[in-house]
Amino acid sequence: MTTYIIRRLLYMIPVIFGVSFIIFVLFNVVAGDPAPLLLGKHATAQQIHDLREQLGLNKPLFAQYMDVVKSAFTFDFGRSWATRQDIIEMIRQGAWPSLTLTIPAFAISTILSILLSLVVAFYRGKGIDLTIRFLCIAGQSISSVAYILFFQYFFAYKLGWFEISGYEPEFPIFLSYVALPGIIWIVLSLGPDVRFFRTVILDEIYQDYVRTARAKGLGEITVLLKHVLRNAMIPIITYVVIQIPFLILGALLLESFFSIPGLGGITLNALNSSDFPVIKAMAVLSSIAYIMFSLLTDVLYTLADPRVKLK
Amino acid sequence: MSTRLFGLVFAFMIAAVGCSREQNFDEKVLNLITPQKIKGFDPIYAADLYASNEIGKVYEGLLEFHYLKRPYELTPNLAESMPEVSADGLTYTFKVKKGVMFQDSKAFPGGKGRELKADDFIYSIRRMADPKLQSTGWWLLDGKIAGLNQWREKNASAEKVNYEEEVEGLKKVDDYTFQFKLAKPFPQFLYALAMPFTFAVAKEVVEFHGQEFQNYPVGTGPFKLEKFDNSNRIVYHRNPSFREKLYPSEGEATDEAAGLLADAGKKLPLVDKVIVNIVVESQPQWLNFQKGSADLLAVPKDNFDQAIVGGKNLHPDMAKKGIRLSMVNALDTTYVAFNHTDPLFKDNIKLRQAMSLAYDHVESNKLFYNNTATIAQSIIPPGISGHKKEYKNPYIGRNLEMAKKLLKEAGYPEGKGLPELNYETVGSTVSRQQGEFFAKNMADIGIKIRISTNTWPELVKKTNTKTAQMFGIAWGADYPDAENFFGLLFGPNESPGSNSSNYKNPTFDKIFAQASIMQDGPERTALYEQLYEMAGNEVPWIYGMHRTSVSVYQGWVKNYKYIEFNHTQVQYLNADLEAKKELLKKF
Amino acid sequence: MSAQDTKSLWADAFSRLVRDRWALISLVIVMVYAGVAVLATIGWGLPDWRTSQAAEYLAPNGQFWLGTDLFGRDVLAKVIHGTKIAMSVGLVTSLIAIPIGVFIGAIAGYFGGWIDDIISWFITTFSSIPNIMLLISITLIMGKGLLSVYLALGITGWVGLARLIRGEVMKHKEREYVHAASAIGGGHFRKLFIHILPNVMHLVIINTSLQFQTAIKSEVILSYLGLGVQGEPSWGTMIDDARQELARGVWWQLAGATFAMFLVVLAFNILGDALRDSLDPKLKGK
Repeated sequence: MTTYIIRRLLYMIPVIFGVSFIIFVLFNVVAGDPAPLLLGKHATAQQIHDLREQLGLNKPLFAQYMDVVKSAFTFDFGRSWATRQDIIEMIRQGAWPSLTLTIPAFAISTILSILLSLVVAFYRGKGIDLTIRFLCIAGQSISSVAYILFFQYFFAYKLGWFEISGYEPEFPIFLSYVALPGIIWIVLSLGPDVRFFRTVILDEIYQDYVRTARAKGLGEITVLLKHVLRNAMIPIITYVVIQIPFLILGALLLESFFSIPGLGGITLNALNSSDFPVIKAMAVLSSIAYIMFSLLTDVLYTLADPRVKLK
Repeated sequence: MSTRLFGLVFAFMIAAVGCSREQNFDEKVLNLITPQKIKGFDPIYAADLYASNEIGKVYEGLLEFHYLKRPYELTPNLAESMPEVSADGLTYTFKVKKGVMFQDSKAFPGGKGRELKADDFIYSIRRMADPKLQSTGWWLLDGKIAGLNQWREKNASAEKVNYEEEVEGLKKVDDYTFQFKLAKPFPQFLYALAMPFTFAVAKEVVEFHGQEFQNYPVGTGPFKLEKFDNSNRIVYHRNPSFREKLYPSEGEATDEAAGLLADAGKKLPLVDKVIVNIVVESQPQWLNFQKGSADLLAVPKDNFDQAIVGGKNLHPDMAKKGIRLSMVNALDTTYVAFNHTDPLFKDNIKLRQAMSLAYDHVESNKLFYNNTATIAQSIIPPGISGHKKEYKNPYIGRNLEMAKKLLKEAGYPEGKGLPELNYETVGSTVSRQQGEFFAKNMADIGIKIRISTNTWPELVKKTNTKTAQMFGIAWGADYPDAENFFGLLFGPNESPGSNSSNYKNPTFDKIFAQASIMQDGPERTALYEQLYEMAGNEVPWIYGMHRTSVSVYQGWVKNYKYIEFNHTQVQYLNADLEAKKELLKKF
Repeated sequence: MSAQDTKSLWADAFSRLVRDRWALISLVIVMVYAGVAVLATIGWGLPDWRTSQAAEYLAPNGQFWLGTDLFGRDVLAKVIHGTKIAMSVGLVTSLIAIPIGVFIGAIAGYFGGWIDDIISWFITTFSSIPNIMLLISITLIMGKGLLSVYLALGITGWVGLARLIRGEVMKHKEREYVHAASAIGGGHFRKLFIHILPNVMHLVIINTSLQFQTAIKSEVILSYLGLGVQGEPSWGTMIDDARQELARGVWWQLAGATFAMFLVVLAFNILGDALRDSLDPKLKGK
């Protein structure tokens, strides 16, 4: 298992090369020129040339790409071109607000949808099953922008139940700011989650061992919780864990509408201002997180099902 | 197990929701909103409006625009008085106020702020020219101060920029006196000294904080930074060591009646604390203001029709809450630019005129500005000398027959033979709608328009590389002088300079070059007016509007008066806490 | 059938009837939308959305059931014409994403070895970059317009399916029927495309219904970012318009576009579920 983990960690190297390459080509070669943007509306040709020189944009493309790779491996992302802030510091500051929004929302929606899918699996085909599934699917079928506009206007402004926008990092004050965007997140995730978990659970319910368990006279609820859920754990874990890396990036629209100073806003700003060092840092971090968490999934497999061996 | 956990979390959320922040009535606090993340507090990068508003709370310059007087007038701020100007107009001698202290900072020995001296200005102006720093304000001084360009070039390739070396044009006379020597006449120079780019920073602080300097502003200004979270909130409190600066006791004729002189002679700043919240989206900005949690909102120029009914009155729901409205002509011009490197437009003035005549300004004013804007006849907005009131552009004012006739004379009867034209704009909702409106207008004379929306970097790239065929954009004044506008049509300023439409007209260029170095006076105004008419008749762009700046503010905010160059404004504002207690009951 | 012991035959029959009925209604809804999209494309028989017919921002009334927009255009007509963009975005992105996903996934799963290594590397690389970055950069490269919306959503949509197909094909290639096919001398191509692929086809169909509705919803996000469709009404731009409108009480554009989208996405969801239930071999006969 140790060799497996080491091998998978080494796998990060080619992936980071790949990610750097894609991001480099897409943003450095093709996208807008950051120099005139940074210099403002009165920039002179000379100034643009000088700044490009300083930013390293006049070097040959291969040398520029190697700079990208180097910074990806050393984690030395330097400073943002647009805000001149230290990128690691920006990420450190933005991570907390993003995580205080996404993690509770993600945890609640995951737990809630596992519970709901057990319920709908238990009552499969009956009215309760249909109603819950319909509501979940209906909830997911409305555009997130529509939710945001309406919830903010109605629940925060008209009814005054929540803060309209803003953020405070202290616990538990931040809850009052992330509650409404969190609820929107949950409403949007219940649909796909419940549908997926229900499918997985139903797949197990029709297996032979479940019939055996029932034949032994175990109650339906015991069968569901003890046997079915346990065996459905592998796909559930995969599905849940693989979403985690993207929680770090925050929720773009929610953050921007509710003025939560998280990484989603940082990413969006960077994309809008051709702030290449920041885009690169976010892409590299997210790919590292992605690989780490897919590795974690594999390790969790062995815990959930001892039959699985990692080679 | 998990049910209980869930219940607990949910209970927590509900509990937390209950305890939102209480209003504080012990000290005078202003709650403001800014629609953009603030990049930092380094004056030499104060190119964007929002950063310069924050910089202006902490830092100060030699001059400022008088808060109440209109038309805009420069008054001394850190300067003892207006400068002495030599007869040839090239040497400006400034005296700096004595006893002005920098705010306390650990960068100073013992942590105590020291006195501001002439050297600080010389240093700060040089930082703008520092080739390693690439100030966004360099254009203001480029080629204007004797010896400064040479210093910049000499240090461009040096390891370390040499601040010790004398520059001819920046001369210290004594601790409180210094001289600027200009390389050529530059009558707009004094405006530069009221812009945040030239505000005074202390060398010790710059060197102490290095690259983090932008996060630790230490100026001489009315407010001291308490907390800076560049994407969430900025908090200031009153600078305890602020000098004796008083609220002005004279202004425009109407100011007395408007209650703007009630605080005359009082020591600034008038409030104890300023909180600036960063709110990007317009819906939460608006809702926060309506809830009373923001005191002042510059209603975004592009969508202020939400506040007004009938083009000039505040919406009654808001008036009921004591909210007040301010509507003042902004110094700006919107336009659709033709790219004059495109042969289609370059020599075909009739095509440009036809398109201008097809554009429905009246309807556009109604749809996008609730009839608050002024239709532009040429490039300069009213309120700046050179704007000729009686000039009426013959190619503005919808006239489809005339437009069709001109289009035919241009060689494209009913649009035949004319390719589909590309209209570039930024991706915001309103820009897109304005593009749609433009396309609809042009379709009426048979011209097909394709709208492309862009992110800001893309649009900048396209205009800089001269590949945008037509684009919708606006220009706001950097300072109240027509030169700032005419420069947009001056041939040598072509892309990537500020003349992004690449218009070239030798006659125009000649007159501009002559006028731009003249001191203000009837002679210059005559030349400006000539340029104004020429820029109108030649239709280098399809002129749009001079917009009106619309702000709303709460009934408890006192002394609010719109000022175009508003980075110094907050120190003059006051908050009436008694009124606030009363008015909040109506929310 | 011991699985049915726990519930009565009647209830089972009833639930299946209900389920099928819903699926049927959903199918009809999807067909109607598709029909409207076709009509909008050939420009026949639908109300006019281009001309300003009345004052701006009229509330819903007898003449304009969903009111008018900023230019005094009929919002209902815009909603109807928006169907075209929605359906074509769904269709074209599926046509791009599904074949790429199936082909790449199948090749990787079938051949294994270094081919699988390379493809897996590619999939991992692709899926570890946040979608939003890919979406924005593709529209940057392609320029604006419908084409780049198609491509952006298509190119980001294939990854999940590829991974799924790869896993399934891996399982199937060890099955007896494939070995049997080898025994009678079937080539790789034959084994993969004639024997294995039909057995994983249900995944493709389910995925298509998901891809379709994801694409429709993503169009809204792209419009929010200013990268959406221009010159034609789309639900995304209508919802984007509502950002400015809601605060002044203009809700009908948001409501109309949201409802139109809600209905078709809901129908696709229900249809997808029903398809899954009837197509998944594991559930057959249950």
